[in-house]
Amino acid sequence: MDTLFHVAPFTGYVYPNETVIPWTVLIAIYPYLTGLVAGAFTMSSLYQVFGMQRFKPVAHFAMLTSLCCMLIVPLPLLLHLGQPMRALNPVITPHITSAFAIFGYAAGFYVILLLLENWFVFRPHIVAQAQQRTGPLGWFYRILTLGSYDLSDRAMRYDRKWIFALAIIGIPGAHGLHGYVGFVFGSLKSREWWSSDLMPPIFLFSAIISGVALLIVLYAISCRLRKIPIDLDCMKGMTYTLWGFMLFALLLEAVEFASLVYRGREGIEVILEYVSGPLIVPFWIIQIGVCSLVPVLWLTYMIWRGVGGNALIAGTVLSALLVLVGVLMMRWNVVIGGQEIAKTGKGLLTYHMPLFERESAVTAAVLLIAPFVLLAAAVRLFPPWDDTNGPH
Amino acid sequence: MPNHIVRLLLVMAICAAVAYVGKQLLTVDSFYRFGHYRGNSVAEIASDKPKYATSKSCETCHKEIYAEWSKSVHYNPEQGKVVKCEVCHGASGSRDKNPNAYNSSTGKDHPKNLKLENPSDTVKLCTACHEQMPGRPREQKQIVVVTHTGNQQCKDCHDFHSPRKFVGTSTSKPGNAAAGKAISEDCVECHGKLGVSEDIEFPSIAGQPQTYLADAIKAYTKDLRRGNRMRKRAQDLSVTDSENLAAYYASLTCKSAKDGEPNAAIRGRALAGKCAGCHGEKGISDKLMWPSLAGLSKSYLEEALKSYKAERRKNGMMNIVARNLSDADGADLAAYYANLACR
Amino acid sequence: MDDKPESGEPPEAGRRKFLGLVGGGSIAIATTALLPQAAAVVVPDKPEIPGYDWNKHHWAFGIDATKCIGCLRCVEACKVENNVPTDANHFRTWVERYVTLEGEEKTRIDSQHDPVNIQAAGAEGKYRFANRYKDAKVEKAFFVPKLCNHCTHPACVQVCPVGATYKTEDGAVLIDHTMCIGCQYCVQACPYGARFFNEEIQATDKCTWCYHRITKGLNPACVEVCPVSARIFGDRNDKQSPISVFLRNNRVTVLRPESGNAPNVFYVGIDKEVS
Repeated sequence: MDTLFHVAPFTGYVYPNETVIPWTVLIAIYPYLTGLVAGAFTMSSLYQVFGMQRFKPVAHFAMLTSLCCMLIVPLPLLLHLGQPMRALNPVITPHITSAFAIFGYAAGFYVILLLLENWFVFRPHIVAQAQQRTGPLGWFYRILTLGSYDLSDRAMRYDRKWIFALAIIGIPGAHGLHGYVGFVFGSLKSREWWSSDLMPPIFLFSAIISGVALLIVLYAISCRLRKIPIDLDCMKGMTYTLWGFMLFALLLEAVEFASLVYRGREGIEVILEYVSGPLIVPFWIIQIGVCSLVPVLWLTYMIWRGVGGNALIAGTVLSALLVLVGVLMMRWNVVIGGQEIAKTGKGLLTYHMPLFERESAVTAAVLLIAPFVLLAAAVRLFPPWDDTNGPH
Repeated sequence: MPNHIVRLLLVMAICAAVAYVGKQLLTVDSFYRFGHYRGNSVAEIASDKPKYATSKSCETCHKEIYAEWSKSVHYNPEQGKVVKCEVCHGASGSRDKNPNAYNSSTGKDHPKNLKLENPSDTVKLCTACHEQMPGRPREQKQIVVVTHTGNQQCKDCHDFHSPRKFVGTSTSKPGNAAAGKAISEDCVECHGKLGVSEDIEFPSIAGQPQTYLADAIKAYTKDLRRGNRMRKRAQDLSVTDSENLAAYYASLTCKSAKDGEPNAAIRGRALAGKCAGCHGEKGISDKLMWPSLAGLSKSYLEEALKSYKAERRKNGMMNIVARNLSDADGADLAAYYANLACR
Repeated sequence: MDDKPESGEPPEAGRRKFLGLVGGGSIAIATTALLPQAAAVVVPDKPEIPGYDWNKHHWAFGIDATKCIGCLRCVEACKVENNVPTDANHFRTWVERYVTLEGEEKTRIDSQHDPVNIQAAGAEGKYRFANRYKDAKVEKAFFVPKLCNHCTHPACVQVCPVGATYKTEDGAVLIDHTMCIGCQYCVQACPYGARFFNEEIQATDKCTWCYHRITKGLNPACVEVCPVSARIFGDRNDKQSPISVFLRNNRVTVLRPESGNAPNVFYVGIDKEVS
């Protein structure tokens, strides 16, 4: 009996049924991963759709990153479900007034879109490998070619058109997908901490900054691993992108928090008690202070002073790492925080994350690492590096 | 259109078709029958078997208790206060837990397979509703447990099914009046020749319920009543002797003392309502373990109340009753009962 | 809308379609093609429940908090009747106690799951309010029974991704445990804390107004055992039913009316703190 559920300690008055916190750390991981998907896709779109040539070195890599993250996204949800065997039900009998029901279709649609776009992008490589390789890997590539080795100019023209079209559809797709994750929380009127029209844009902008930050870090690591110099122009572009979107994200969060406090609806006393108590370290110090203000000020300084070279790279990569932690903390503070404030508006609960269980710290860590294991394999199968732009 | 794109579209079409067919096949029966849910689930949920079978179902077998209860304060539909059988006895139907079939009933029912338990700790049971507690509406009968019962069980005094009726417990058995008469000469000095006392200090015992008399003799040996002579006498008597004596005196005819002051008696009458539950409407007990009060001497009755109050004489119910009576009220009550005609 | 159960089209249908478009947004259009023939199905009259027609009933629940004595027999009966886990964290119905002490501004609230009350009861699975305020100077105190409100516009039904929970024609909000995927979105959406995740069956659970009893002409278990008639249940279509009389004779209120859920549990005698 005891292992079936964890009782959350509480202060004040909470509804009896609230003492078991329904959504655990895995539900905090889930929007984080979708955010990385949307953010990484945004980076690739800047090149594919908006034609920003400076992002060419990371464009294909971004798309592959996006796909690898997307493939892991359903896992935290699946592990959270009480009945994982019925996981297909939301697709079989989707209740379209439910934000979760849409997830099946939206995510499915988006996975298909990413697969298609990656396929078109990597088709020349697939065809080349299919012709060279033998053995199981050769078969793998040959199946992927769908039996057509056509790389003529006409075929490539078609491919470019498809890539462009898919990238255009992907922009509302990726951002819609993540905006909807914000809607999952923002549309619930039962929790004052979540119930906000600004939730979708907040999730969206924090998603974009997390994706950009991830690419900055991954790109730096990949260059180190491949022993090639980092493309400074590209890095500088990503610095600007990160900085710009961060300002938006911070502004939106500030507005949301200000209006929550300013409106001061029922239960605000408890929210303020929460914000000024249990939230001091995870929210004020880590999320806002160390992981938002420090990087944004640092980036501002580097842009203002025109810092370049290795200093820029080091500064940007460190800022990006902080941002990645900050966005993860933001997801935690929204998902877990919302549930630690009781629906009664008269009490607070405390969530304790178990260490080894189905929904625990270890699972969360594995899920956070999994996309990068996938990615490491994917870059070997489909090298995304554009080698025309720099020395090999 | 290049070959690879045609083939891609074909693959997508096949996947879509498979997904669509799969969706159709996997959609459960009756899903969209009434709306966006499985229509059959409504009847499945409704088919669950009730566990609480209502008081009516108890009446079939427990007619007497049901009749008793339905005349009691625990059955007052006008005020909406009905303490149904299953409130205290628990559900009469039962169901086994079966995690795989949450809504099916396979369980055991009273009376076939299951005996309902009688609540053992009545203090815990009754005080769930009757303990004085802030928040309970004033109309609710509430007691302060410590001062009301001490460490007694509620059932020691109250009838379960009709709590305004009082009960007593006694282990005394009916005796043999003739055998009692044979050993009665020692009693004559104080209680009179035929159990009618000449001395107002000592009670008349003729015509009292025999269980009460037998219990009274035993009470002296257990120090529940005090009196040196009676204790010595009682210690000499066997249980059978006591019961025989009790039977003898119970068979005799009493004579009323009628020594109460008339005005005091009138005042006392107004106070006597609460006594009637045990001692009878006119002071004549219809229960074997409680004494009749009618016609006992005023000074004996008054003294009895005082010794209850001081707990020299011990009885859970009477100690509490006496504690809440002033000496003046006690005197009035004594006068009232002294003037009543005995049986 | 639900006040007219005799109208031909299911009352929720129009609203559902509309919300569907709003909620689903552009994706809804994409999915419409995949949605089966929901509209084309001929809606049968009623589910096969012996001797019961859901079109003839409109259930509602009343609570007269001025009568509640906080004995918690209802909580116990509900747990027994519905096989609810007996611990102090899963309840289909519960009772709250509101106590204002003299000189204190904040009302103290507790329920049977409070550790002090569990201790007074002796164990989880036994339910009793500790007499913790007997020596305090109490200015005002009262008990409030709570349960699922079976809302006319239930937020929990709105968010369920699979249609495992739904509103019946006669007014109950039910859960189909065989469809529930256990995502607990409905638990989050309910502003009243009426839903919980039942780990024993790995599905969400909540009060059904004892649907298996009311369709057989019995009262819900909690109403059955309430010794003071603080809980009132009945059919609003029957003008002489206890609930119709209750609603006619009292000025009632509902919990959190601003949520727009339009609850169908009506309260008398609750104070401003109750929500």
